[in-house]
Amino acid sequence: MSDKKRADVLEKIPSGIEGFDDITSGGFPRRRTTLLMGGPGCGKTVLALQMLVSGAMRGAPGIFVAFEENARRVAANGETFGWDMRELEKKQLFFVDACLRCDVVKSGAFDLTGLLAALEAVTRKMGTKVIVFDAIDVLLSLLDDPAAECRELYRLHEWLAAHELTGIFTTKVEDNKPATAQRYGFMPFMADCAVLLSQRVENRVAARMMRVLKYRGSSHVLNEVPFVIGPAGLEVGSTNGVHPEPQPLNERVSTGIERLDAMLSGGVYRGTNVLLTGSSGTGKSTLAGAFIAAACQRGERALFISFDENSGDIVRDLASISIDLAPHLASGLLRMVAIRTEAASSEEHFMRMKRLIAEQQPRCVAIDPLSALSRMGGELAARVVAERMIYLFRNAGITVLVTSLLEGIDPHLETTPMHISTIADSWIQITYALHDGERNRALSILKSRGSKHSNQLREMVFSDTGITLTDPYSAGGEVLMGALRIEKENAMRAEGERKRHEIEQKRRDVELIMTERDHRLEAAQRDLQNRSEEIGTLTRAEETSTDESTQRQDNVVRKRDGELLQEQAPRAKPGNDKPASVAVKKRGKSK
Amino acid sequence: MSDTVNAADHPSGAYVFRLYLAGGAPNSVRALANLYAICRQHFPESHRIEVIDVLKEPLRALAEAILVTPTLVKVSPAPEQQIIGNLSEEDEVLRALGLPQKETA
Repeated sequence: MSDKKRADVLEKIPSGIEGFDDITSGGFPRRRTTLLMGGPGCGKTVLALQMLVSGAMRGAPGIFVAFEENARRVAANGETFGWDMRELEKKQLFFVDACLRCDVVKSGAFDLTGLLAALEAVTRKMGTKVIVFDAIDVLLSLLDDPAAECRELYRLHEWLAAHELTGIFTTKVEDNKPATAQRYGFMPFMADCAVLLSQRVENRVAARMMRVLKYRGSSHVLNEVPFVIGPAGLEVGSTNGVHPEPQPLNERVSTGIERLDAMLSGGVYRGTNVLLTGSSGTGKSTLAGAFIAAACQRGERALFISFDENSGDIVRDLASISIDLAPHLASGLLRMVAIRTEAASSEEHFMRMKRLIAEQQPRCVAIDPLSALSRMGGELAARVVAERMIYLFRNAGITVLVTSLLEGIDPHLETTPMHISTIADSWIQITYALHDGERNRALSILKSRGSKHSNQLREMVFSDTGITLTDPYSAGGEVLMGALRIEKENAMRAEGERKRHEIEQKRRDVELIMTERDHRLEAAQRDLQNRSEEIGTLTRAEETSTDESTQRQDNVVRKRDGELLQEQAPRAKPGNDKPASVAVKKRGKSK
Repeated sequence: MSDTVNAADHPSGAYVFRLYLAGGAPNSVRALANLYAICRQHFPESHRIEVIDVLKEPLRALAEAILVTPTLVKVSPAPEQQIIGNLSEEDEVLRALGLPQKETA
């Protein structure tokens, strides 16, 4: 509610630096005074100049008063950031060389009336909106009297207010002292907005930081935020950035390893990040390579950023396991960038990555290893950068795989340098499983947001044909790997062989028995036939007897036939369960 | 005691000064008075003073890199010398002009 009301009172001038406008909720206060403080080489002058230039480009004229540096040189420095100073100076920018001659002698009191008169004249001519007083402390130190210093500064301040001008002062402060304890400690009290710039060295790497100390009538970020001076001026790494949340994507992206995709129920979600941890030599880079190769095979643009390893070496090493990146590099689908960790602070690396992403427009990115960042400029800076990087990718919908070295960290702690595991969407860990004098690579999925994932520990094997995860075998509560797994596989094979043999043997035994039974059945049939033929012969011999004896004889024959018919019944059914031999035997007995 | 310096001691001739002032500001008024006094005392016959009011000619002051008022510029004899302030510290002025200072006895 009050936001709108406040905006009526307090207008802001965008600095033209996205991150700076974020932390100051809109930029510099219009028609008010801002103080930029910092030690030597902190970037005060560049920030002030950039603000002035960006205003001038929007058509708001400004004056730059240089008390310390030669004004021509300040303008020339602007050219190196790609700002067309010459063109701007024609209408929008005015530089005042206010360097006092070194041989100037001071005698008695003086004031800034002359300078103000001059500035007023220029302002009237140009329609100036902003005036920068660079290194105001140089001027004040001439006064050599605290009361006079304070008086003159307030005179400037009043003059700016009376002319409705926006004033930017820069002043030096000693790095190790709080700003208010400094010689010009009253300045932050006078100014409506005060920003402290600093440069500090952690682990031999310099990092630039800025902090908004105060901002009258406006909200601002209280924290120190990192910034760099890049090829186009200041880039402030804001953590306040409220960006539209990207739509979550349901599409799955392959990791490049079929069995790993299966473990992740189809791969990782598009636009998410995968953290791959493991100590050195576990194959993180190789997995990163597989991921990138898969992306290129799908025809997606990709970016492979490696720290301290040459792209050529990576391509060669991956080729040895049939992951061929060379054609994708040639087609421009893939860009590989090798960055020397030592070359810059983590913040500078971040800004560089941002530029690379803008140039390559990748859909998939691999950074190997992200933990290299923490080597430069300290753990904390790296952590902040890593987080911002993850958010950068997330907002851009880029699927990213980052690797992280777990050196000297107990793998069972399952923690990561820079604590990136907490913001990682998926976390895959590769460890060495030591067993029976062997070192085997074991892969497991620790986390995969929004996906069912396998809980198995799987052995990862690299071969000429690529990467694969072996079938899981466990014994005695442990997953078998390496020789033990091969042993188990061999044992399983042998067992299978043995079983097959056994069955074969049994089958042959049964077949043998069946053949034997057939033979016996044949013999019995032949015997039966012989006997019935015998009966026929006997019958014909008896046909020559008398009627009486014929009658008796007939009765005898009928009786025998009945008996025969009864006995023939089982033989009439061949597929009967009852073996034929039983019938044969029975008949043999009845005889 | 102070020595009187004649124009004859300076082959280049007269002392030429430019004094940049800010209208009737106190320091400016004082500077002008102090300058006149020094000139009268040290080279009454051979000096020339040009007074520039920066409030009237602000762009000229800017072009000549005058930041603070009052500022005195000794144009000749060479080398050119700038003295800022209301010239109340006479010793500093004399030293800057290459003149012997008053004895502090």
